[in-house]
Amino acid sequence: MMYDYFDNTVTGITQKLDQDPGGINARKKYVLELSKLGKKLYSKDETIAWCGVTAPFDLLSAMGVTSCFVEFVGAMLASTQTAGYFLEEAEDSGFATDSCAYHRAVMGAVMKNAMPEPDFIIGTSSPCTAGLAIVENFAHQYKKDFFILNIPQNDSKDAINFLAGQIEEMTRFVSDHTKKPLSKQKLGIALDCFNQSTRLLKDIYDLAKTTPSPVDNNLLKDFGTVISLLMGTRQGVEVCQAFKDELTHRIKTFQHHGSNEKIRLMWIQNRIQYPFPINEMLDDLGAKIVVDELNNVTWEPMDPDHPFESIAKRMISIPFSMSTATRIKTMQDLAMEYGIHGAINPCHWGCRQGTGARGLISKGLKDINVPVLNLEIDCVDSRNLAKGQIETRIEAFIEMLS
Amino acid sequence: MTKKIGFTCAYTPVPLIEAAGFSPFRVFPESKAPDQAGHLLHDNLCPHVKKVLDRALADDLPDLEGMIFINSCDAMRRLSDAWHAARPQDEILLLDLPSGISSLSIDFLSKEYDRLAKTLFEWNHKPFSLEKIKEKIDNWNHLAAMAKKIEKTMSKEYFPGYASRLQHIINTAATDSIDTAAAAAKDHLHPIGPAQKGRIPVFIFGNLLFDPNVYNLFEEWNLHVAASDFCTSSRFISPIDVKKDETIFRSLAGSFLSQTPCARTMETTVPGSIAQKIVQQAKETNAKGVIGFTLKFCDPYLARIPMIRKALQEASLPFLMLEGDCTMGSLGQQQTRIEAFTEMLGV
Repeated sequence: MMYDYFDNTVTGITQKLDQDPGGINARKKYVLELSKLGKKLYSKDETIAWCGVTAPFDLLSAMGVTSCFVEFVGAMLASTQTAGYFLEEAEDSGFATDSCAYHRAVMGAVMKNAMPEPDFIIGTSSPCTAGLAIVENFAHQYKKDFFILNIPQNDSKDAINFLAGQIEEMTRFVSDHTKKPLSKQKLGIALDCFNQSTRLLKDIYDLAKTTPSPVDNNLLKDFGTVISLLMGTRQGVEVCQAFKDELTHRIKTFQHHGSNEKIRLMWIQNRIQYPFPINEMLDDLGAKIVVDELNNVTWEPMDPDHPFESIAKRMISIPFSMSTATRIKTMQDLAMEYGIHGAINPCHWGCRQGTGARGLISKGLKDINVPVLNLEIDCVDSRNLAKGQIETRIEAFIEMLS
Repeated sequence: MTKKIGFTCAYTPVPLIEAAGFSPFRVFPESKAPDQAGHLLHDNLCPHVKKVLDRALADDLPDLEGMIFINSCDAMRRLSDAWHAARPQDEILLLDLPSGISSLSIDFLSKEYDRLAKTLFEWNHKPFSLEKIKEKIDNWNHLAAMAKKIEKTMSKEYFPGYASRLQHIINTAATDSIDTAAAAAKDHLHPIGPAQKGRIPVFIFGNLLFDPNVYNLFEEWNLHVAASDFCTSSRFISPIDVKKDETIFRSLAGSFLSQTPCARTMETTVPGSIAQKIVQQAKETNAKGVIGFTLKFCDPYLARIPMIRKALQEASLPFLMLEGDCTMGSLGQQQTRIEAFTEMLGV
């Protein structure tokens, strides 16, 4: 089912691209590359690793491993409106409805044999305990080897060395499975691609800060989280270049002045994954999501001479790996840089990591006079969606900001 | 009166607290403080963390010289974050606890325990003393050995009130001192009165069950708690294996990571080993059934319950799963289910 979905998407976009190479936008190119990755994951002739969100995908890619974080599939199932079926399967097997639906959906997919069987599993302790617990379930269910990257919640020298040591150990673990040693040359290329993409990401985010912003409510949706799957590859660089080009073009041609941008918003954590007309609604209300919390570069360039240390520093720098105070400081900086008027925090049901800090985040942004709308919603499970209530709350919030 | 250091997680080494001249004070989620934690965090967070934060917000705590948190799960991380906001004047230390057990993890945790020890001595303006730490670890091991003896006796036969007394000893170690707990353990090493028949042996596990009266309730409901595995019971009083060829902190880290783990700690070589361990513990104590009692919204346990259920099913061990908020009240609400389970086991 998922293979067909990815295959159809690849075919459709490729045909359009062939007919009119300049006619498709950056988002489509990005979807194309992600769909190609999805196809590879489901193609059965690749070395596959299911991972935690903050795994070093660039390094894994350099080692010839097709890897992905499991929540990506949870989001795909939600966006294709098939999550409900898998959620029910997981719940029938005893996975609590109080838990995160990203994880419940993929667990249901595992039970229904709708997930590609991995060659091994790499869990990460950041961003969340639940994510690590679910990949342990994967390893248990598939009876596959399991490696954990423990990501400390501080950036002390000991913490960085600890994580760097684990990353190095992980390369040996991967080599044991692929029977191929880590190629310094391939790693060098991956890190170079990563650094190129990082520079482009900075440019993209700087362009998005323009007033009015050249982005629309959909263009950079969940971009920072998902682009990590392509970082370290040539395709990742091309996708980032496409976004930069598109934003530059929009500004040069004054397209951004055409948008109805009265209110600039920040979206906290991840977007709602199933079809829900929030973007259109915000458009109608003259509000624009100019920044997603995770659309941010928090790391220094990768140093090919000290690859493991560089990657470790990068993993720790992700706001979810650090304390909530650090995360709030990052959000406050973004709020100032983007000149936002308000923030929307979709308090994803069952998320102890992000949603668990709801009150602290509201307070932190209030301290810099940025009101926060806390939307109590499940971003993956639409079965109990109170659509009308959510719409009313958004309307009231935007009205208040206006 | 000895100055107190607060803590919330069983991965906190009490001997280090005492070695620095402090008394341990485990902040149990036991309070009539108003429910305010949701304002700082979220309502869908484990009741342990919320109740502890409620205590902090309502100042329902003794004077504390500092607070130690362990980065054991998302909820605990958030508690540490919220504590900074609720009591900014407090000395607070957050230790990182690896999730996987490996040589690197043990090395790292040993550095974290080293950092903890040095910070504690600093907080108390005392010179760092390795000798003092070793002395307190010896005392701890003496207490742990007695606790294990009591557990062993408890697992073989039913002595009314024995499980409750053991819990009282463990709580004393967590909230008073190792020596006071050891004195109590010595007094209770041998059960009062003869063993009795007629109760059904069960193994109970979960995250938090600290009220000694709970064990009396189980007895009222015709159950003999042959063994328990909670972070407030046997997991808390685990011996520290001091090895001569390594530093004291490495011994501490090795011991804490290799003890029966909380669901958040994993053996990567055997994914899902928690399920097999529970089966093994239940079998070793000849339990006729297993009761799981976990806190609502506890992700590490909630995610493992299906595999635990399956493993118990394969071992033909009946299983009752209960969720609650770690109070006597929430357990009381489960009375009918527990009694029905007991009846089923008795058939």
